[in-house]
Amino acid sequence: MVRVAILRFPGTWSERDFEHAFSLVGADTEIQWHEDVDLRGFDAAIVPGGFSYGDYVRAGAIARLSPAVRELRRFADEGGAVLGSCNGFQILCEAGLLPGALTRNTGLEFRCDWVMLRVESDATPFTRGLRGRSLRMPIAHGEGCWTADAETLERVEADGLVVFRYVENPNGSTADIAGLRNEAGNVVGLMPHPERCSEELLGGTDGRAVLEALVSSVGTEPALAAVS
Amino acid sequence: MRYRATIHVRPKPEVRDPQGDAILGALNSLGLGVTGVRTGKEIVVTFDAADEAAAKKATDTMGRELLANPVIDDFAVEISRADPVVEDFSIDLATP
Repeated sequence: MVRVAILRFPGTWSERDFEHAFSLVGADTEIQWHEDVDLRGFDAAIVPGGFSYGDYVRAGAIARLSPAVRELRRFADEGGAVLGSCNGFQILCEAGLLPGALTRNTGLEFRCDWVMLRVESDATPFTRGLRGRSLRMPIAHGEGCWTADAETLERVEADGLVVFRYVENPNGSTADIAGLRNEAGNVVGLMPHPERCSEELLGGTDGRAVLEALVSSVGTEPALAAVS
Repeated sequence: MRYRATIHVRPKPEVRDPQGDAILGALNSLGLGVTGVRTGKEIVVTFDAADEAAAKKATDTMGRELLANPVIDDFAVEISRADPVVEDFSIDLATP
C-alpha cells in the first residue's frame, strides 16, 4: 500500500482533509508533527494548507526554518514525491524547493472560490496521465500571486515546470500560474486544494484525480520507489 | 556587547506592491499630489554580539534567512549599541 506522510505545523488546517481524501483512494497515511518528521519508508510527503505560524513574517517563512523542512529536503533530494497545497506551496517556495515566491493577491482580497485549472505537465507523480485535462478545484488564499524575476520565469516556461494554470486568473499570478514542479518532477506545489474536492458531497471530485495519480505512480518508476 | 538593529524590508522595485497601490489611491483622495507609495516592514531586534562586525554579520543572516525573501524583497539594516539593562522598543521620533 502507498504510504503518505502528512506534515502538520502549528497553524496547519488541512491535514485531516488530506487524511480523509487519501483514505478514499486506498493510501495509508500518517500525520506527523513538524518537530518529529521522519519520512524514511514513505512514498510521498504532503505539506497541507493552513496558516503555519500565523503567516507571520511572510506566508511559509517561519515553517521554512523547522526541522521538518530539513527532512523534506533530504526526502526530495532522494526522489521522494512531495506535494504542497496552498500554504504548503508557499512553504515549498520559501524553502527553495520550488522557484519563485507567493505574494499578496493583486486585488488584496482573500479569494475563496472555485477555479478551473489546465494541467500542463504530466512529468510528475501527481499528474501522470492528466496532461490536457481541465480540473475544477477550490481555492482559499490571500497570498497566491506567484512572482519571480524574468530569468526564473523564462526557465520555468522553457523547462515546462508549469503544472497547473488558471483558466481565469483569480489573484494576479504571473503567467496565470497556479502550480509548479521542480526540474526533477518529484516536487509539486499548487494554490488550489485537491483534498477538498475528492467526493461528490463537497461539490466536486476532480482533486481525487491528483491523489489517484500518485497512488498509481508509486512503484512504477525507480525514482518514485519508497525512499529509505 | 548588546546591539539593537532595525531591519527594513521592502519589496524589490520590480515587484508589485498592491498594498502600496491601495494606499496611493487613498492618499490621492486627500489631494496631496502623492505620485508613488511603497510599503514595507520594520523589525527591531536586540541581540548580543562580540563587536560591530559580528553584529553586522548576524543581522545579514537574519535578513537573508528569515526576515526578507531574496526572491521578492530588499532589506537594509541600521545597527546601534543598546543599553544592556533596559530593552527600549519605543519609536525614535527623529526631528525633521
